[in-house]
Amino acid sequence: MLADEHILMSTSLPVLSHPDAAKAFLHDGERAAWHDDALWYVRSKRDRATDLPEWEALREAASALKAHAMSRLAELLEAFEQRATASGIVVHWARDAAEHNRIVLDILRSTGVKRVAKSKSMLTEECGLNPCLEAAGIEVVDTDLGERIVQLAHQPPSHIVIPAIHWKKEEIAQLFHTAMGTPAGESSPDALAGVARVHLRDALLHADAAITGANALVAETGGVVVCTNEGNADLGMHSAPVHIACVGIEKIIATRDDLGVLLRVLARSATGQPVTAYTTHVTAPRAGSAMHVVLVDNGRSARLADAEMRSALHCIRCGACLNTCPIYRRSGGYSYNHVIPGPIGAILAPAVNLDAHRTLPFASTLCGSCGDVCPVKIDIPAQLVTWRERSAAAGMLPAGYATLFKRLGPLLASRTRFNRAGAWARRLLPVLRALSFLRRLNPWTRPGRDLPVAPAESFREWAKRTGRLS
Amino acid sequence: MSARDAILTAIRAAQVPASPPASAVARPIAEDDLLPQFLRVLSEVGGAGIVRGAHQTVASILADALPPDAEGVVIARGRFGVAENAAVYVDAADIDARADIIRAEHLVLLLPVTALVPTMHEAVRRMPDKSACGWFLSGPSKTADIEQALVIGAQGARTLHVILEPA
Repeated sequence: MLADEHILMSTSLPVLSHPDAAKAFLHDGERAAWHDDALWYVRSKRDRATDLPEWEALREAASALKAHAMSRLAELLEAFEQRATASGIVVHWARDAAEHNRIVLDILRSTGVKRVAKSKSMLTEECGLNPCLEAAGIEVVDTDLGERIVQLAHQPPSHIVIPAIHWKKEEIAQLFHTAMGTPAGESSPDALAGVARVHLRDALLHADAAITGANALVAETGGVVVCTNEGNADLGMHSAPVHIACVGIEKIIATRDDLGVLLRVLARSATGQPVTAYTTHVTAPRAGSAMHVVLVDNGRSARLADAEMRSALHCIRCGACLNTCPIYRRSGGYSYNHVIPGPIGAILAPAVNLDAHRTLPFASTLCGSCGDVCPVKIDIPAQLVTWRERSAAAGMLPAGYATLFKRLGPLLASRTRFNRAGAWARRLLPVLRALSFLRRLNPWTRPGRDLPVAPAESFREWAKRTGRLS
Repeated sequence: MSARDAILTAIRAAQVPASPPASAVARPIAEDDLLPQFLRVLSEVGGAGIVRGAHQTVASILADALPPDAEGVVIARGRFGVAENAAVYVDAADIDARADIIRAEHLVLLLPVTALVPTMHEAVRRMPDKSACGWFLSGPSKTADIEQALVIGAQGARTLHVILEPA
């Protein structure tokens, strides 16, 4: 089996700075603006769906149930394992990505699986499962429509909920024309989704095994909960002879009451729906079939020991922080160079490898919007700042930042100096805007971006003048 | 050490301080508002709700609601419905095979009009204790993966009707 070792490890992405990757994305300004609008549309739907009198109480409860689950993590996982095992589910444990891939591959090989229908799972992306299975000669079809689009294009998802958010329908039309023989130029979403329906239902109903993720594991019921809108996870898991659910250990929750809270915030935050079209709770395999759950650590227990960053494990992968982030919307998922992009990715990636992802904690204006929309109230901005502090302490600040911060320090520490500098900056900004050569030096003013127009007076001056501040 | 023991040991070594369970968040909805809200949300999520009249049968309702040559019609009994999100809970114990739910092109769910609850808060408490598999189904299958354009009938049911049985 040692011969397989090379296919079990996920290939790591090359180190790339976020500003450099964003530059490539912003090269096409029109497209960047289109991407920005598409995400803002999703964010707006989320705002309408969360307009409930009890919304803040729900966020508080969702945050509390996650913190509670993390404080009893070992015990809850054992309770889940015991109930699931008693009802015929085989529970596996994987320390890391390679072990996860090995377990899945062994299950598939032992049952002679040739074709796998997979539904969306960021965990299997994290573990690099698809390339591993393909290298072993197993055909894998991603059956979420967005994931199928990026799979056909040999790309990873650029968004955790809307994997093909960066694709225009005309491009999908071309892709489907080549891959599925749709008429050239047929780009209506109805027609394209209709062809994909036939193609994906066929893959789902004839697969030898179904692989899904899970949105939650409920310790109280021993249940695996899977949420989709397309119904693809259900099509696979209720028809294939083998179902494998690949789940991060942080997905466990204590009770079905907790599940109620989670389901009330998840789809509202993700897509602005009151709940997903399909929410499935499975506690036992169906007669004549096998069901496996693979519980994956892959760095999660280490993060649990990090008190300042632990709450990042509360993430329910709704994508709300991506949709609202002014940086993500204008730089695209691939600029993060990590399986989970956006603000949540910018605090998850440094824990995997701070050196490689040192620019991510700086891919933020610290505007705080990510923290405001997070349904489980992860203080993402605070963690971004903590990662910045840690990269400074480790001597891993992105190039130029160390000198910059050393110079800025005395300025920011004194109110008088800060105010004086502000006044100078307002006078200097128009001049700097005019000096085009400066743009090459500053990542913030690369093509597609510009320095703002400076107001005539500072906020403090305005407040004083209008009598709001004595 | 097995992977299981290694993971559980690492988790315990993290010594996460105790944190209390979440408190319940309910939003009572007046009895009279449950049905109107359920029907409104159901139509918003692309489904259709019909309260069966005294002179109607399920067959006569479906004859009007579905295309004449409709194939893959699956009729299933729901246990209860949720006003806030139009989800109907169907338990696998009430259908012949789990695959029925997903092979259906047209899904028809029968639900007593008295079996509506306000939110998921009450709904999860009504899930049967010994369920092997159950679904909350809210409208037909859908996708917005192509430029956020909503397409009804992705991989699962193309239509979803809820027929509410009068008390």
